[in-house]
Amino acid sequence: MGLRWYHFAMWAGFIALMYAMPELVSKGTLRTFIFANFLAVFAISWDVLSGRTGYISFGHPFLIGIGAYTTAILTKRFDVAIEISIPIAVVVTMIASTLFILPALRIRGSYFALVTLAFMELIYQLVQVIRPDLTGGTRGMSGIQTLTRGAVNGYYMSLSLMLAVAISMWLLMRTRVGTALSAIGMSEDSVLGSGLSTTRLKLFAFLTGAFVAGLGGAFYVHYLGSIAPRALFDINFVFTIIVAALIGGSSTIIGPMVGAFFLTYLLEYLRPYLPGAERYFIYGGIALLLYMYQPKGIYHIVMQAWERFKPGKSA
Amino acid sequence: MTILRNSAALLGAMALMATAASAEIKVGFIGSLSSDTGLSTLRGAEMAIDELNAKGGVLGQQIVLVKADTGEDVTEGVKAYEFLAETEEVDFIISGSIDDVSLGWLPRMQEFQIPTLDTWTSYVGIIDMIVDDYDSMRPYFMNIASDEALATLYIDFGKDVLKEKMGWDSVVILAEDTAFGGAITGLVTEALAPNAGIDVTEIISFDITTNDFAPIFAKAEASGADFIYLVSSVNSQVVSSQYVKLQVPMGMTGVNVAALGHEFWEDTGGAGGGISTLSPVPSLGFALDPVNAEFLAQYQARYDTRPSIPHFNGYNAYHGLKQAMAAAEEAGGFELDAWVPAMEKQDDIFKKDGEMWLRWGWWGNDEIEPRTGRAYPHNIRFDITEPYDEGAPSMVVIQWYEDGTNAVVYPDKFKTGEFVLPSWVKK
Repeated sequence: MGLRWYHFAMWAGFIALMYAMPELVSKGTLRTFIFANFLAVFAISWDVLSGRTGYISFGHPFLIGIGAYTTAILTKRFDVAIEISIPIAVVVTMIASTLFILPALRIRGSYFALVTLAFMELIYQLVQVIRPDLTGGTRGMSGIQTLTRGAVNGYYMSLSLMLAVAISMWLLMRTRVGTALSAIGMSEDSVLGSGLSTTRLKLFAFLTGAFVAGLGGAFYVHYLGSIAPRALFDINFVFTIIVAALIGGSSTIIGPMVGAFFLTYLLEYLRPYLPGAERYFIYGGIALLLYMYQPKGIYHIVMQAWERFKPGKSA
Repeated sequence: MTILRNSAALLGAMALMATAASAEIKVGFIGSLSSDTGLSTLRGAEMAIDELNAKGGVLGQQIVLVKADTGEDVTEGVKAYEFLAETEEVDFIISGSIDDVSLGWLPRMQEFQIPTLDTWTSYVGIIDMIVDDYDSMRPYFMNIASDEALATLYIDFGKDVLKEKMGWDSVVILAEDTAFGGAITGLVTEALAPNAGIDVTEIISFDITTNDFAPIFAKAEASGADFIYLVSSVNSQVVSSQYVKLQVPMGMTGVNVAALGHEFWEDTGGAGGGISTLSPVPSLGFALDPVNAEFLAQYQARYDTRPSIPHFNGYNAYHGLKQAMAAAEEAGGFELDAWVPAMEKQDDIFKKDGEMWLRWGWWGNDEIEPRTGRAYPHNIRFDITEPYDEGAPSMVVIQWYEDGTNAVVYPDKFKTGEFVLPSWVKK
């Protein structure tokens, strides 16, 4: 797996810093961290599915939404305990993700992206018309049981989830399976030629991505306490997730985390100065500049700088 | 030592002065800063705040307004509420949010327990939440008639005008493909049609980006229905102007959000004649009492960008904010045990020619509205029974005429014009 002591030291330092954050920043800032943590979870799950394998999904909110709606309906309509509803939601999401796998066996590229987008549109329509007594229809549901109250508790909950997902995926991607998934993104035919089953590998990537998306969606709805089709099955939500992964650095674990924090903070930092839509111009402009400068994302900019200036490097 | 002591005293005095200077009542605005409806609430709140500040503020403190844009996005609404509550630590929140955005931030209101007034959202489910869980929902007030009350009076319009006066028996619904479109379509099919004795022949859904409505109108015409019921909240000016330009040979009424604003005529390039829509009050064409006429005059003198006439929620924000501050004055602050009962007692009645005309008051917590048979705690005290002497009607129907004017056409007590078919439609 190529693990070194400094990997663990860096993770330990990062975890210590993040857990100390409530002592260092205001509650308002912690709320921003919470959204950044959730966006990081969604971006990591997208990256496992799309960033690694090259099967770009525009329908990721479909998976997040299945997880979120399943646990919301179970807890609000059927009084199922959260500790039972969340695992059920994750399993349901993984089963639903097999719908993604069917087209992935036959098509890729922009065709696959469009099919996944269609899945999202389909679920957007379905939750509004099929059993609105369960889904809340067009307006969604409010008053869903929350896991925590207050900024500090919400922060610890979202941080723990984000760290658990990030470290698990980081370890997984350092295995041979992780390497094979990245290889699919580079050349699926070569992986096939080497005797590996790309179908099984893709199935694994899709189920893993769905597991994380379902888990993230379920925790997200129990943080928000509300759910609406327009909030989840929305093209802006897809783009936010994809931009976070790409701007941070896809095919990495740190990249989507960095991208998620960067984007969330940029928007919230600008809010007091530009309360209207103007802040989205700045957000878009900075994202565009960064992406033009280094398409591989912020992570690679940092790594390039490290390579250039690291101690012991000869001139 | 003396110098040190004097310096410390001076610093202490300066700190006290700074504290006194920074003592202020913070009001948070949550809503869209780029829509006419959001701006109506914002401006109504701004005018109320300036008026109160000119008279010395509230509790001896000046009121400041902090804005948080939702962009009409549900998740942005949650973030905006958190920003107002935790970063800005506001005392009171006034909302110009649409339904699902309000539902999104409601759990945050329950958590932070900040007095909050909604001026645009009309979802009766929120009122039901107050009935079910008064303790956690008590900071919430809604000063627009909830949709159950809007629907009840609209059914009367269906019976009295569409069925009896126009003689229409069947309707084809043209509904935009949005949450709003789905909700209103449900209302028409489940409530208006059966109660007014009007059959729904077909429901035609259209995308909000539709530019060419000719095939859709052709399909509506082919349905054989007597009239079209339009449900449109996004880009409503496009479907409206094409109805006029194509001279669709059927009457059309419904819910048309663009037609609620004074800019509708300009937005349709003068092709808006014949369009009608339900509207909460005070609407376009609504005859105002002297106090609200003065508010409108001051609004128009102050703002030279759209909306040049505030939507109904601008009036709601203006009166609602003043009531919230009056309640704070009476309660000695915004502590809920004192503020909520004081707010529940607020009741402003505006008369025109000696008659009850508009009213910003509240239904009693245990009071039952006789027609719908349900309670409406913390909902504006509307009236849905003639002669409307207990409150303002929950809604009126307005119509744009072919000469660019508009009028209220229903109910009779408030009408300033007649419901008419466009000149190209044969009876």
